Amino acid sequence: MKQKKVNEAEGKAPKYKSSISNSVFVVFNTIFMIVFVVITLYPVLNTLAVSFNDGTDALRGGIHILPRKLTLQNYKTVLNKDNLMTGAWISVARTVLGTITALLANAILAFIVSRKRFMFKSQLSLFWVITMYVNGGMIPIFLLYQNLGLTNSFWVYIIPGMISAFNMLVMRTYMQGIPDSLEESAQLDGAGYTTIFAKIISPLCKPVYATVALFIAVGQWNSWFDAMLYNRMSAQYTTLQYELMKLLSSVSNQGGSAETMKNALSSAAVTPTSVRAAATILTMLPIICLYPFLQRYFVAGLTIGGVKE
Amino acid sequence: MKMKKLVAVLLATMMAATTLAGCGDSDKSGKGSKAAASSKVDEVREYTAFFAVPGNEINDDNEIQQKIAEITGAKVKETWLTGQTAAEAVGTMIAGGEYPDLIDGSDGTAQLYDAGALVPLDDYLDKYTNLKELWSEEEWDKVRQDDGHIYWIPQFGNVYEKDMTPTPAEAFWIQTRVLKWADYPEIKTVDEYFKLLEDYNTANPTMEDGTANIPYTILCDDWRYFCLENPPQFLAGYPNDGSVIVNPETEKIMDYNTIDEAKSYFQKLNEEFAKGTVDTEAFTQSFDEYIAKLSSGRVLGMVDQWWQFTDARDSLKQQGLEAQGCNYVPLALTMDTSVTPNYNTEQAINVANGVGVSVSCEDPEGALQFLNDLLEPEVRVLRSWGIEGVDYEVGDDGVFTRTDEQWTLASDSSYKASHICTYSYLPNYFGLLADKINAATPTEQPSEFVKSLPSDVQECLAAYDCETYLEMMDPADAVPGPWFPMYSYSNAMTTATEGGTAWTKMGEIKHEYLPKVVMSADFEESWKEYMSAYEGCNPQAFLDEMQEELDHRIETSAKYAE
Amino acid sequence: MVSKQIKAKEPKAKFNWKEFKRQKVLMFWAALFVIYGVIFCYAPLVGWLMAFQNYKPKDGILGSQFIGLEKFIRLFSDSTFLQVIRNTLAMGIINLVFTFVTAIAFAILLNEVRSKFGKKTVQTISYLPHFLSWIVVTGILHDVLSGTGIINELLINIGVLNQPLNFFAHPKFFWWIVGFANIWKETGWNAIIYLSAITAIDPSLYEAAAIDGAGRWAKIKHIILPGIKPTIMILLLMNVGNVLNAGFEVQYLLGNGLVQSVSQTIDIFVLKWGISQLDYSLGTAAGIFKSVVSIILIVVANQIAKRSGEERLF
Repeated sequence: MKQKKVNEAEGKAPKYKSSISNSVFVVFNTIFMIVFVVITLYPVLNTLAVSFNDGTDALRGGIHILPRKLTLQNYKTVLNKDNLMTGAWISVARTVLGTITALLANAILAFIVSRKRFMFKSQLSLFWVITMYVNGGMIPIFLLYQNLGLTNSFWVYIIPGMISAFNMLVMRTYMQGIPDSLEESAQLDGAGYTTIFAKIISPLCKPVYATVALFIAVGQWNSWFDAMLYNRMSAQYTTLQYELMKLLSSVSNQGGSAETMKNALSSAAVTPTSVRAAATILTMLPIICLYPFLQRYFVAGLTIGGVKE
Repeated sequence: MKMKKLVAVLLATMMAATTLAGCGDSDKSGKGSKAAASSKVDEVREYTAFFAVPGNEINDDNEIQQKIAEITGAKVKETWLTGQTAAEAVGTMIAGGEYPDLIDGSDGTAQLYDAGALVPLDDYLDKYTNLKELWSEEEWDKVRQDDGHIYWIPQFGNVYEKDMTPTPAEAFWIQTRVLKWADYPEIKTVDEYFKLLEDYNTANPTMEDGTANIPYTILCDDWRYFCLENPPQFLAGYPNDGSVIVNPETEKIMDYNTIDEAKSYFQKLNEEFAKGTVDTEAFTQSFDEYIAKLSSGRVLGMVDQWWQFTDARDSLKQQGLEAQGCNYVPLALTMDTSVTPNYNTEQAINVANGVGVSVSCEDPEGALQFLNDLLEPEVRVLRSWGIEGVDYEVGDDGVFTRTDEQWTLASDSSYKASHICTYSYLPNYFGLLADKINAATPTEQPSEFVKSLPSDVQECLAAYDCETYLEMMDPADAVPGPWFPMYSYSNAMTTATEGGTAWTKMGEIKHEYLPKVVMSADFEESWKEYMSAYEGCNPQAFLDEMQEELDHRIETSAKYAE
Repeated sequence: MVSKQIKAKEPKAKFNWKEFKRQKVLMFWAALFVIYGVIFCYAPLVGWLMAFQNYKPKDGILGSQFIGLEKFIRLFSDSTFLQVIRNTLAMGIINLVFTFVTAIAFAILLNEVRSKFGKKTVQTISYLPHFLSWIVVTGILHDVLSGTGIINELLINIGVLNQPLNFFAHPKFFWWIVGFANIWKETGWNAIIYLSAITAIDPSLYEAAAIDGAGRWAKIKHIILPGIKPTIMILLLMNVGNVLNAGFEVQYLLGNGLVQSVSQTIDIFVLKWGISQLDYSLGTAAGIFKSVVSIILIVVANQIAKRSGEERLF
C-alpha cells in the first residue's frame, strides 16, 4: 500500500511548464550525463578489455576498450586458484553476516543518539566520532585480538568492525530528519523504545539502511588485510580477496628490493598483469548484481506516513 | 543482573587485553602450531613456512610436492608476503609470539633473532650432513650471530661444481639491430656506446612500421631507480657491492656517488638528454610503462638487471620482433679503456638472510631432516626439473632436455600451481645437479639455453664469437674479498643508527636530484646543487659504519687465512 | 523548511533519575556500545605509548625503554616533515573541496534526469570506478597524460601547446592530477549518500513548489539543497577531520623523483621512515600527531557549526 503511494508521488513530482530555459537545461544535463558516463566507464571498459587480452601482448600497452588478442587464460588462471572456493564461501558468509550485524548495531546506536530526549546523546556521539580519528596501530590491535581469541577465527571479520562512526552518523542524520511527532504519538499509545525503533523508525529508514548496507557489504567483500593479518595460518578462514591478493602479490611492483625480487623471480614466474584485471572484474560482478537490488530504495521517493507536522 | 554479568566478563577481557606486555606468550604455543595436528596422521609430517618476500603459492594437492612428500615423509605449506613489508609482517608475528615452523624474515631477519624467535641450529647441524655441507666452516662462521650461534641457513649463492649462469646481472643493453648496422663493432666505453646509439638513430629514426625509436631510456621508478644511480660503480671498474665500492688494496670503503666517474657519467647523460638521445619521459615513467616501451621494440638501449625485463623479452619474442633485431645483448662499459670492467661476480653467500626454525616449531629435528632431504639428488631433480617423461626427457648420454610443449607447460601458471614445486626459498644448490652432467635448472642447461635464444641474438653472439650473454660482457670474476657483497649489510640498516638515517636520506636526495642534473640546462650548476644537498645528508656517517663492518668482515675471515 | 524542522526545540537534557529510568532501554544499549567501543577502539590506544619509547617488538609495549619526546622532536626538526605536512594539507583540501562539490552536483543533476532507465544506468555506471584499484586507475592516468596521450593531443590540436608536455615532471601539476584522479574514481560512489538523502525529501514539497510555479533552479535551491543540507554538513564536518588523510597509494603510484617535494604525504613519510625502517615509534608519533590535529579540527568545525546553528556532529 505504501509502495503505491510512493509511485503516485513520483508520478506527480516532475512537472514543469515547458520553457526554453527548461529545455536548455535538459539538453545540457543529458550531454553532461553522457560525458560523465563515458569518462567513468572508460577505466572499467579498459580493465575489461585487458582482462580478456593475452597477458604478454598487453604489456605493450595501447589497449583501450577492445582486446587485441583475445584469451580466457586470465580468467582461467584466477578461477584455478587453489582455495578460491573456500575463500568465496567465507567471503559470502562474512558479507552476509557482517552486513546484518553491523547494520543492526549501527542502526541501534544511531537510533539512540538521534533521540532528542536521550541524556548522553552528545557525549555518546563524541565518543564515537573520536574513534574515526584515532588508531592504536597494527601491533596493539593484533595483540588485543589475539588475547580475545579472535585470531585464527572467523569472528575477527564480524566483531571488531561492527560499529563504524561514519555509518552511524549517516543514519543518525537521516533519523533526525524524521518528525518527532511520530515518536511522541507512538509513546502516547504506550509504545516503548524497542517498538518505536522496530515499527516506526526503521520502516522509514529504508533508503539509508540500503545505503549503509551497501557500504558495509562492499567493505566486507573487498577486505583482505584482516584475513592476511589474523588468519594467515588458518587456510579454512581465507577470503576470496585475500586469495586474489596472494595471486597478485607476485606481480606487485611495490615494496620490493633488488635482492628479493631477483631470488623470487628466479623461481616463480610472473603472473601477467592482466590477471589483476580479470580478478578485478570478477570481484566487481557480485557488487554489480547487488546494487540494482538496493537501488530501488534510492530512486523511489519517500512518503512520510502517519502524522503530518 | 544479566547485564552486570556481561559487563563483568567484558571488563575482564578488556583488562587482560590492556595489561599485556608484548611477546613472550609462550603459553600460546600450545594452540598455535598445526604441525601437531598432522603428526598423528603419521604418514606425512606437515610444516608451515613463511617467507617474507612475494612469491607464488602452490596448490595443496600439488603433484610434485606430493611426490617429494612420499620420498621424504614430509611437506611444507608455504606462505608468502602479501601487501605488507617484510618488517611489518615479522613485527606482528613477534608481537603475537606465534610463528610458522620455518621462517625467512628477509629484511626482518635481524628482528627475529633479536626477539629470540629462532632456534639455534649449531647442535643440530652436525646431524644433517647435507645441510652441513651446504656451506664451508668459514661460511658458517659468517652466519654466526654475536652470541656465537647459527640461526638461519642461507639458501642462495651456493654453486655445486660449476656455475652455469649464462646471463649477466646488470649491464648496458643494446639492441642487436644497432650492432648489426655498425657491423658488430667493439663497444667498450660510454662515449662509444652513446655515439653508436646516436648514429644509428640518425640513420634509422624509426622501426619498420614507422614507430619512432627511443635511443636510450632510464628506469627510475621507486626502488628500481638503481638503474639510474649505480652505473658509476661499474664504470669505475668495481663489482656490485650495492651501496658502496671497496678498494681491495687499501681495504677502504669508497663512495661511488662522488667519484669522478659519477660526475662524467651524469654529465654524459646530461649532454645526451640535451641532444634528445635520452627519453624525455625517462624520469616520470612507471615500471609498467617502461616495460611497455621495451616490449614495443622502440628502445635501442638502457641499463638494467637481466631479471627485471623478462616480461619485455617474452613480449618481443611473441611479436616476432627478433626479425627486426629488437632483442638486447649486454655490454660491459667503462668510462675509459684503461679500466677493466667487473660487472659480474661469482655467486657469494648472503649472510644476512636465510631460513630458520622458529621456537613455535614442535619438531625442529623433523623440520631440519626435511630440509636435509631436500638436498638429496633425487629430490633436487624433482624440484628443478620435475618428473621424467612429463616435464623433461633424458637422452642416452644422460642429458636432460625439454620439448617445446614441456616448456610451454612449465610457464603456464595453473600448471605451476598444481604440478610444480620448487621450494624456492628452502636450501638448494645452483650450478650442476648431483650427476655433474645437467644444470641445476632447465634454463641454465646449455642445450636448452641455446634453443631459447632469439635468432637475432644468436646471430649477434656468433658475430662476436660467443655462446652466452655472459661471454659477450666480461666473464664472472672471483669474489673480490671476504666482505663481498657489502649490500648484505646496508640492506639491513635501520634509522636507529646515524649511518642508517644518512643512507635513507641519501637515497631520497639522489632520487630527486639525479633526474634534475640530467635534465638541467646548466650541468655544473645543478651538479653543485646536488652535491651540496648530498653532503647535507651526512654520508660520512654511513660510510663510517660501512667501514666498520668491512673491517669486521675482514677480521672474521682472517682466522681462515692461515 | 525541512532543515528548520530538524533543529527545532531541543529539550535540555538535565540529569534526573526519573528520566534516566524512562530511558533505561536506551541506557542499556548505550552502555553496551560504550563497552564495545572501549575494548575495540580505545584499548588499543595503549599503543600510543610506543611513540614515547624506543619500541622493540621483543620487549613489548610495556617493556620497551621510555625516551620521552625524542621521536616527536626528531619528527619536527626534520625539514622534510614540514614539507610533507604542507603537501598533505594541500592535497587533503583539494580532495575535500573537489570531491564534495562534484558528488553533490552529480547527485542533484542525476536526480533531475527524468528517464528512469537513464537514471538507473548512469548511476550504476557512475560508481564502478570505485572498485578499481588505484594501480589500475593511475596506470590509465599515465596513459592519458603521456606525451602521446589524448590530453596532449587535444591541447596541441587546439593550439594551447606547441609540443607535448610531460605533466608528471612538473611539481605544479601534481596536486591537481591527484585531485582529478580522486574525482574520477569516487564521484559516483560519494554521490550515493546524497541520492539517498534526496529520497528523504517529502514529495509534497515538490508539489507545493510546482503549484507556486517554481522552476527547476528554484526547486534545487529551495527544496533539494536545504533538504540534503544536514547530510552535507555532517559529511563536511567529518571530512574536515580527514584532511590529513590525503592518502598514500595515489601519490605513491603517481609520484616520481622529480616531484618528490610535492608528492610525499604524511603516510608515505611514515611508511618510509617508520615501517620500512622498523621505527614503529616514529610512525606512531606521526600517527598521534595526525589524530590530534584531526580531533582539534573537528572540534573547532563542530563549534563553528554549533554557533551558526547548523547541523553538528556531537
